[in-house]
Amino acid sequence: MKKVKSLKEAVNLINDGDTVSFGGNVLHRAPMAAVREIARQNKKSLKLVKTAGAQDIDLLCAMDCVESVDAGFVSYETKYGLANHYRQGVQSGKIKGNEHACYTVICALRGASMNVPFMPVKGLNAGDLLVKNDYFVVVEDPFSGEPITLVKTIVPDVAIIHVQECDEKGNAIIYGPKFEDILISRAANKVIITTEQIVPESRIKLNTERIDIPGFLVHSIVQVPNGAAPASCYKKYEVDDKSVSAFIKMSSKDEIRDYLKAYETKDYLGERMGRRL
Amino acid sequence: MMTEGYRVSDIMTCCISNMLQDNETVFHGVSSHLPMVAMKLAKSMHAPDLVHLNIPGGVNPSSIKQASYSSAGADLLGTAEAYFPLEEVFDLSMRGKLDVAFLGGIQFDVNGNVNASVIGDYHKPKVRLPGGAGSAVLIPTAKKAIIWRVKHDKRTFVETVDFTTTRGNLWRIVTPLCIFEYRKGKLHLESIHPTSSLEEVKNNTGFELIYDEIKYTDSPTNLELATLKKIDPYDYRSIEF
Repeated sequence: MKKVKSLKEAVNLINDGDTVSFGGNVLHRAPMAAVREIARQNKKSLKLVKTAGAQDIDLLCAMDCVESVDAGFVSYETKYGLANHYRQGVQSGKIKGNEHACYTVICALRGASMNVPFMPVKGLNAGDLLVKNDYFVVVEDPFSGEPITLVKTIVPDVAIIHVQECDEKGNAIIYGPKFEDILISRAANKVIITTEQIVPESRIKLNTERIDIPGFLVHSIVQVPNGAAPASCYKKYEVDDKSVSAFIKMSSKDEIRDYLKAYETKDYLGERMGRRL
Repeated sequence: MMTEGYRVSDIMTCCISNMLQDNETVFHGVSSHLPMVAMKLAKSMHAPDLVHLNIPGGVNPSSIKQASYSSAGADLLGTAEAYFPLEEVFDLSMRGKLDVAFLGGIQFDVNGNVNASVIGDYHKPKVRLPGGAGSAVLIPTAKKAIIWRVKHDKRTFVETVDFTTTRGNLWRIVTPLCIFEYRKGKLHLESIHPTSSLEEVKNNTGFELIYDEIKYTDSPTNLELATLKKIDPYDYRSIEF
């Protein structure tokens, strides 16, 4: 099966109502081209999962694509302020904000990767998160009799991860911080890789021990140079300050539609570009 | 707010630095420029073997000067000694081997309850806050949890928090006015910054202050201020002010 697809084809694999997990962390190596395409395709009722999200979650909340967000932290960093579309969505009751402790997202994904229904979590033993959320339960440890918190496993239907290099089989290498991306790739039922460039298999073979996500786990591959922008991508580009600053000022869906439109040429560029084969 | 050549952000950075000891494993997260600079200052001054841990996984980055918009960026790994990612930092804390964690929050009460989640009802909040990030698992498990907050007013230090994201096992809270110590289940006023006064702390705190004696936070030394200029030339420690 041919794994290399256009951005439209790959994002079209996502169904309304799917649980979707994004790679990266806050403004770093988030799969933003794919996020923009999800918004363009007007996906609905997505359940987003991420330890710490920023524009990825905020943009999809703004465009009414989201039913719930499971995350430990949703905000831009200090300089750019709060994720206002996410906040308004939760405050109006349109979006369910499922707050986690970052680590409990990790544990919920570890549960998926091991195919167990829940994971015991140390640490989370006090406060209202335990009381208000049905995905946490405190039980008696059958071995010691001590209380232990369980977090319900989250199995993403789709994971979207942006990488610097990937071959046509999907063998992917992440340069710099990997954040939770390797775990996400093991937890999800379907993995979509967006990559700065598709490189020859022979080149990846020189570095097999550096492969973070082996191709057999990968369902689809999209070549999207600058596919994390305006987030940063290590060794490739920094955060696009102008784009993030412009976005956080936008309040209407029309403004954001124009913003998405302005990215179209760039987002679809990789499909027309030759691959380095 | 310049008094005798230093600012409140300098006081906060220096007093946090002085809370850190040599050889401790210390973690800061996202949006955490001030503690990041304090850790670097401690390493340059009295704690050369302090272990600096962060989200991108860079152990002991040699420079923090590139971290302008983010304290979770790849630059912290680019100049690091080793790779130890977030997942593993959490596991380390669960094993009881994380000495210090820096955490935020929006509301605090005298009983050491921390709110980083919502104002109002959890399921339909008046204000949805960014979330506690790792707080709910790190505050209970790190040996010392230090909270810093650049706002000190009656909306921040309240009688009772709207929502308890986590509680207990705090160690210190550092604000622009003072330092609180968490002891025997209560926040105690430990010291007042030289730029503030007991009256100012009282007027801006929504609960009755508990203290044995009035002490003042040490002013930054000339050496500390000179070192800060070197390690933090772009003044990231003041970003939140």
